[in-house]
Amino acid sequence: MTIRDDTRRRADGPDSPKPAAGRGAGAWRLPVLRLPARLSGLDRIAGYVEAVVARSGLGPAAGYRLRLAVEELAANVVMHGYAGRPGELAFTGGGDGACSAWIEIEDGAPPFDPASGHRSPASHLPVSDRPIGGLGIHLALAAADEFRYEYAAGRNRSTVTVRPHPDEGGSRHA
Amino acid sequence: MAFNSDLTIVEGTATLSLSGELDAVTAPSFHQTVEHVATLEVAKLIISLHDLTYISSAGLRSLVFARQNMDEAITLVMAGAPPMVARTIRMAGLDLGIEMTDDYPG
Repeated sequence: MTIRDDTRRRADGPDSPKPAAGRGAGAWRLPVLRLPARLSGLDRIAGYVEAVVARSGLGPAAGYRLRLAVEELAANVVMHGYAGRPGELAFTGGGDGACSAWIEIEDGAPPFDPASGHRSPASHLPVSDRPIGGLGIHLALAAADEFRYEYAAGRNRSTVTVRPHPDEGGSRHA
Repeated sequence: MAFNSDLTIVEGTATLSLSGELDAVTAPSFHQTVEHVATLEVAKLIISLHDLTYISSAGLRSLVFARQNMDEAITLVMAGAPPMVARTIRMAGLDLGIEMTDDYPG
């Protein structure tokens, strides 16, 4: 894993707003969930994602993608960012009121942009020869429809946004 | 989150039936099961995914581990993955290397 020490945003310029947060008539956000940086917290993270998905109206398939992206990024922070050191993860979820949902993951681990050095799986190789590192980050980025990263004030902030896809069936909103 | 695996062996075919959620918390126990299964003298291993509701990269790594640690002569099949689990497997490119099928009953 590459640890970066620069400060930058991905996907948008430095003046880009956070997705949907407090913007637009139907925009909403849930209270922040703060957890110690341990894998045992995945259960509560899954519950938080479930609450975001339920509020957003995303269908099960899009909700699954949001959970996968958030859990993979969180697990990566715990295992490689904090790497056994004590720390905290903070999750803030919201939506735009039109079936799009986002979750921001904030941590105090060393600076790391998950999209830096991202590699797709070596699908051209036989499974017996494939390296298995980096798979979690790949899944997170593949599952999300939008990904942002910034490092500011000593904190990593990764935000994943998921929107319903036409092939995933209808959302729960009319 | 609950996860269970159940192993049956019939006439040279081992079937490992998974149920629940296979993530970074539950994958270590599955990994131990895979290590055991890799030592079996069978011709085929069917990993039944019919009742698996969630899989993350940790679970996928165990599937890769299974293939990497079994004799190449042993056929490995992933059967009956629900749509969202199957999609995750395809995202990881694991369908290109381990056979996926719906043909085996759960």
